[in-house]
Amino acid sequence: MSDQLKADKITSDLLRSIRLNKSFLVWMGFLGTALLICGYAYFLQLRDGLVVTGLRDYVSWGMYISNFVFFVATSLIGMLISAVLGLTGIKWAAPLARIAEIIALAFAAIAGLVIIMDMGRPDRLLNVIIHGRIQSPIVWDITVVTVYIIMSTLFLYIPLIPDLKICYDKLDKLPPFARNIYKLLSLNWTGSGEQANLIKQTTRVIAIFIIPVAFAIHTVTSWLFANTSRVGWDSTIFGPYFVTGAFVAGTAAVIIAMYFFRKNYKLQDYITDFHFDKMGQLLVLVSLVYLYFNLNEYMVPGYKMKKFDAMHLNSLFVGAHALLFWSVQILGLVLPIILLIFKPMRKPLPMLFIGTAVLIGAWFKRYIIVVPTMEHPYLPIQNVPLNFKVYSPTLTEISITILPFILVLIIITVLAKVIPIIPVHETIEQHEENN
Amino acid sequence: MFRKNTNLKVTITLVFTVLVSLQAFSQNNWNVPADKKAKNSYIKFDATSAGQGEALYNKNCASCHGNPGKGNSMKTLNPIPPDLSSAKSQELTDGELFYILTTGRGVMPSFKSVLSEDERWKVISYLRSFNKGYTQVLSKFDPNKSKLVKLDLSYDAATNKVTVKAVANEKSGVVVLKDAEISLFATRYFGRLQIEKSIRPDATGLAVFNFPKDLPGDKKGTVELVVKVTDENYGEIELQKNLQIGVPTDKPSLRADRAIWNVVTKAPLWIIFLYSLGVLVFALVLAYLVFSLSKIWKSGNNNQK
Repeated sequence: MSDQLKADKITSDLLRSIRLNKSFLVWMGFLGTALLICGYAYFLQLRDGLVVTGLRDYVSWGMYISNFVFFVATSLIGMLISAVLGLTGIKWAAPLARIAEIIALAFAAIAGLVIIMDMGRPDRLLNVIIHGRIQSPIVWDITVVTVYIIMSTLFLYIPLIPDLKICYDKLDKLPPFARNIYKLLSLNWTGSGEQANLIKQTTRVIAIFIIPVAFAIHTVTSWLFANTSRVGWDSTIFGPYFVTGAFVAGTAAVIIAMYFFRKNYKLQDYITDFHFDKMGQLLVLVSLVYLYFNLNEYMVPGYKMKKFDAMHLNSLFVGAHALLFWSVQILGLVLPIILLIFKPMRKPLPMLFIGTAVLIGAWFKRYIIVVPTMEHPYLPIQNVPLNFKVYSPTLTEISITILPFILVLIIITVLAKVIPIIPVHETIEQHEENN
Repeated sequence: MFRKNTNLKVTITLVFTVLVSLQAFSQNNWNVPADKKAKNSYIKFDATSAGQGEALYNKNCASCHGNPGKGNSMKTLNPIPPDLSSAKSQELTDGELFYILTTGRGVMPSFKSVLSEDERWKVISYLRSFNKGYTQVLSKFDPNKSKLVKLDLSYDAATNKVTVKAVANEKSGVVVLKDAEISLFATRYFGRLQIEKSIRPDATGLAVFNFPKDLPGDKKGTVELVVKVTDENYGEIELQKNLQIGVPTDKPSLRADRAIWNVVTKAPLWIIFLYSLGVLVFALVLAYLVFSLSKIWKSGNNNQK
């Protein structure tokens, strides 16, 4: 009896957010307006070409490619939380799995768009496929990003099937068409043992398979850099360096999302201080691993200071990029690790600030990886105007860089509006098991 | 002690300044011989020759000297290459400009074997087009005289020597070009490779060059030889001749075999294998997942019945 009551409460708590309310409309209105403004900037770029950006002959990869790397990086968190923690039987991560999956899907899906935004002639996109060379990491990247998007969609969808049925059953106030969509997507779910087994099995298969795919997507992204001989990119540890960096960015993104979902959807009973504490510990762990890779990446060439490396490293350590470099390393990595070691810092509000600092740091870290190297080619730069040598992004370019963030927020907001962000079926099962 | 030190510093600074200005002075002073200075062009400086000169200038000169009047020469060089449309540069005579362009010095390269005499004059024609007050003095030299010159090139396999004969068939009889400068080149992928140094012919008009034994030719060993003769009276004359005197070389094209840099149809097999394997595994997993979803659907259907 009390179990049934409890299950009903869980269901109504977790489905409460699925309705149109004023704050949702205001938030979407804000995102829509921002989208229009940034969309206009992109229209300018389509009309006039990449000359509206600060990109020139030498720095041809600027904010856009930094953004792309950041988006791919953040999308890896789905794999870490849902697959790695899920498979190793870490129970506390279960309620966060869907948030992580939504973030993963949104960032991965938009990452592909970010690449197109970097193209001066996106109408020639098809040529990449028609004339693509299988030897080119770009072709591998397009392949693995596509695979990862499909896998992430299924990874989000398959465990969701029982919840979709619950949505269909319980949300009887919704218009019929919306309920029918839930019904169709719930694939005749009846909760029979056979179906439950199938879901369990397929979820497990995806969870296993998505790990190498996620590693591949970010390793291949790192190879876009490391497979050249440019200073700062010519590194054998770029794969793991990028993957661990991705975990840092993704964990921070999940922490921020947790905070807002918990507050706005009143999920204090489901996303508890305990979860924040655990996520804080996870962030310390992945940050330490990333710090270790940073040490290797900068200390080893910094010790040798080979001629061309020295030019690049000096600009990072003491030169034009020093302020950004040290801010990113200290405020975005070292300081968060130190703070998060203390338990009071792993409470929701401090975690929100630390997570934000880490996420901003993670974005600028990609900028630090992409731009300074482009400013230091092997061949001498001669007879070019100053803006060819020193990259400074334009306002239009910054607006276009913000555009994908708005799209990601829209996807996350809409998904979190139509599906329960905490797995209902699993939470009830968990509760029954505990009793 | 302190005072002494200051004196030393002043002395060093002074000496250094003098040295730098001396160096700058010597660099600006080309010491062009009087006869070369008085030399004039046999090509008329008009819109046509200036236009042809502009193309040559942009290809050979602009990278250092910048565009005339734009002040965009390469400032990192010492001395800084002057703007050739400037008043200071335009003070030079045609002969001086021609001499500088031909011989070069220090950072300024010689264009003797890069541009023909005609081409060098056309570049100067282009530079003069920026000078409104300039009036040309045409040389009395008749470029048609070069047609009288007969060049001959032969190879002696036993001694490995290339012999060039340079004579002019004047109405008064055969004249040996004994004051001419004769250069031998082999054509390579990028420009001409000079064989030995430029020499003057002997009294019979013969110039002999030792040909290297290891110069690669094409598949059959053919090498394209170019003889260039420069003579005060007859101008510049060139002769091209293909001889089978090089080492036969048959290197496969870099695009012949499978390689990372080749087109997709010639991609390395291991890349094709690994890529296809990855795509295949994904396709299988995807097929399995779709099949499982259909089983969930069917199972639910059966239960409902």
